[in-house]
Amino acid sequence: MNIKKGVVLLTALLAIIWLSACSAGNNGEGAQSSSGAQNGADVQSSAEGDSSVKEIIYATAKDINDMNPHLYPGSMAAQGIVYESLVENTKDGIKPLLAESWEISSDGKVYTFQLRKNVTFHDGAPFNAEAVKLNIEAVQRNASKHAWIKLSTMLEEVSVIDEHTVQMKLTEPYYPALLELSMTRPFVFLSPNDFIDGETKDGVKGYNGTGPYKLTEHVTEQYARFTANESYWGGEPKVKSITAKVLPAGETTLLALQKGEVNFVFTDDRGADSLDVEAMQRLVDSGDYQIVRSEPMNTKMIVANSSKQESPASDKAVREAIWHVVDREMISRTIFSGTETAAETLFSANVNYADIGLEARSYDPGKAMQLLEQAGWVQEAGSDIRTKNGSPLVLKLYYDVNSSSQKTEAELLQSEALKIGMKLELIGEESSSIANRRSTGDYELLFNQTWGLAYDPQSTIAAFAADSSYRHTTSGIAQAEQLYQMIDEVMVSTDEETRKALYRDILTIVHEEAVFIPLTNGSVTVVAPTGLQSISFKQTQFELPFELMYFE
Amino acid sequence: MGGYILRRIAVALPLLIVISFLAFVLNQLSPMDPAEVVLHAQGVPTITEELIAETRAELGMDRPFLIQYFDWLISSFQLDFGSSYVTGKPVWSLLGPALLNTLKLTLVSSAFIILFSIVMGVVCALREGGWLDLSVRGFSFLLTSLPAYWLAALMVWYFSVKLDLLPTSGMDSISSYILPVAVIVIGYAGIYFRMIRSSMLSNLNEDYVLYGRACGLSETSVIMYVLRNSLQVAVSVFGLAIPVILGSTVVVENIFAWPGLGTLTVNSILGRDFPIIQAYVLVLAAAFVLFNTASDIINAAFNPKLRKEF
Repeated sequence: MNIKKGVVLLTALLAIIWLSACSAGNNGEGAQSSSGAQNGADVQSSAEGDSSVKEIIYATAKDINDMNPHLYPGSMAAQGIVYESLVENTKDGIKPLLAESWEISSDGKVYTFQLRKNVTFHDGAPFNAEAVKLNIEAVQRNASKHAWIKLSTMLEEVSVIDEHTVQMKLTEPYYPALLELSMTRPFVFLSPNDFIDGETKDGVKGYNGTGPYKLTEHVTEQYARFTANESYWGGEPKVKSITAKVLPAGETTLLALQKGEVNFVFTDDRGADSLDVEAMQRLVDSGDYQIVRSEPMNTKMIVANSSKQESPASDKAVREAIWHVVDREMISRTIFSGTETAAETLFSANVNYADIGLEARSYDPGKAMQLLEQAGWVQEAGSDIRTKNGSPLVLKLYYDVNSSSQKTEAELLQSEALKIGMKLELIGEESSSIANRRSTGDYELLFNQTWGLAYDPQSTIAAFAADSSYRHTTSGIAQAEQLYQMIDEVMVSTDEETRKALYRDILTIVHEEAVFIPLTNGSVTVVAPTGLQSISFKQTQFELPFELMYFE
Repeated sequence: MGGYILRRIAVALPLLIVISFLAFVLNQLSPMDPAEVVLHAQGVPTITEELIAETRAELGMDRPFLIQYFDWLISSFQLDFGSSYVTGKPVWSLLGPALLNTLKLTLVSSAFIILFSIVMGVVCALREGGWLDLSVRGFSFLLTSLPAYWLAALMVWYFSVKLDLLPTSGMDSISSYILPVAVIVIGYAGIYFRMIRSSMLSNLNEDYVLYGRACGLSETSVIMYVLRNSLQVAVSVFGLAIPVILGSTVVVENIFAWPGLGTLTVNSILGRDFPIIQAYVLVLAAAFVLFNTASDIINAAFNPKLRKEF
């Protein structure tokens, strides 16, 4: 082969590479569009720096994923605007949503719902008693995935009384039934036309709910667009289009906000870590954006394994001492720049049944040392670490490696603990591995958080007794049996006063035993254009009521 | 030549089998029960023992390991890598489009890297020691040492936000290519042009160059001979560079929200979506083997001597 051939070969190779790349770039093929005919370029042009465009384009770290509302991988924020439940959990208690009213039988076992009339799914199918029955039964046929929602283990029968009346029979009375029916999933309603062979557990054909927004376009890993549902029973939302744009990196999100390619960000379950506080403040100072913060949504905490006999964590005095060396004000100020507030109790006062005036254990290393001395943890001369009967005061603290705030908090705590003669060994692991430790009891201390306003206190408290959750945390305390009995009672109690008293006792026991050591209260932070009005929150950190917002 | 190609492919195949085995073992190495991993990945809030057993049976995880492996391997040949743990969609329906998007980015970038490397390498070699050579080398050294994420953030800030010329991220139009391609090219062209340059230089000192000049060949044809011989090194280097770039777009893709393999893999690793990770490892390894084999074959086309040696 001569030089000429070689050069021709190389040139041809380069040309092929170049041409194939260019042509692919033109039409943007390979993007998977599930519906809708518009191409990706529209998202770009509609957002770019044009202040007259009245739409919300929010940045999300992850794709909205599978929108099937009867399973769990999907984005709750997205599912929350497409699907609706029978009732809604609000600050003032349970309110009607798809059900206009309901009656509960005197034995607490039969719930009869009057459904809202003239409600249709996004595909035009009527929302009626039959649709409710089909949806709930489809969920129930996959009950093993919904073990966390106790209602699913107690639901005996769903029957259609007439077109707009549906009845649910429970095997036993269960007071949080309405609360659980109000949750984002799984008891929400999808058009029966989207079921595959009458089922939803192995996938669905479409995502038609009854909510204020319809999913009109979804390009995997790029963006999802929701448009206002003109025939929404509650009136067409004022913001006509909401786009969820996938932006995995925090830095680019910030730059995209500055440029106006996205105009809305909110902290979801990743917590305040995902937004750089100072950078957000600069955006606000520029005059184009506002920051809105919700009231406390959940509590970040350290969980102590009281049932691990050989560990100092089984000693109440040690747990109390840890509680006293946490400088919550400083954590709130320096680690979270004030976006999270100091938490003195497991549940903040705005959680139902939790405002019972438990005594705060403030930051007080002196008190911590005193408690340890009294419990027999003594510091020998020349040693940094206290001992009791020859065993040293050393504990392992597990944190989520992907959370920068947990690591910093752990380090702060480590240095504080050392001052009182306690050694904390810090171990960072993946969140699923920490979840696994929690359920198997293979830990001494680990970072955790309450489930959030929609689920507190009932779901978190039910988890105190559940093997897969906090059983190991609580089973070592003196009144464990009594505690579990009260938890069982409170869930089936039909009398409000009894419930209040039981919750008071339950919360008092775990507070006194100091097994859940609160750190900070997390809330939802929203960064939105200055012109956007009526930014409010739901009783959950995972969703926002976009349908209420409007541009000035 | 045909025989050479066959022999080369015969070596590549067993290598791929070994890699596929390693990729499959990955899943088994996790300290957690694979069925539990699946359920965690699906975001199921509470995982009971019964559910784990149910899931294990459903996904065939209760079968012997080797049987699972061979099943997976045979389906893999038909691009059926199973279903994503998280979404339940077929892996290929997620990996395919992502691979295509990354290939677009990689090939455009590689074309520019090859172009810049050859031009800069040749020019620098011919002007060895001159101010041009020194300044190009110095400048490229500086650019190559900049971390990609930092350079990317800086370029987005300047070109997208400040000058408002280009989109900050996404894959919406041709202009979306400019910044990510620039970041990749800056990162790699500085490395590869040095290889062309040194290969040119060592060839320039060969006797055949002296002989050619002595025979009165024009300087242009002498340089073409040198270039042809130097490109032999270049072809194998670039042959491996393309899969390297393919695998290293992770950072760039994440910053520019490019819906490619890098983004998909990072999400899959965080979500422990093992079928996707396995398929990714397999596809990337196959790309390495493929490009390596292809560069050997191209080299053999350039240099008949190599065909006999194998």
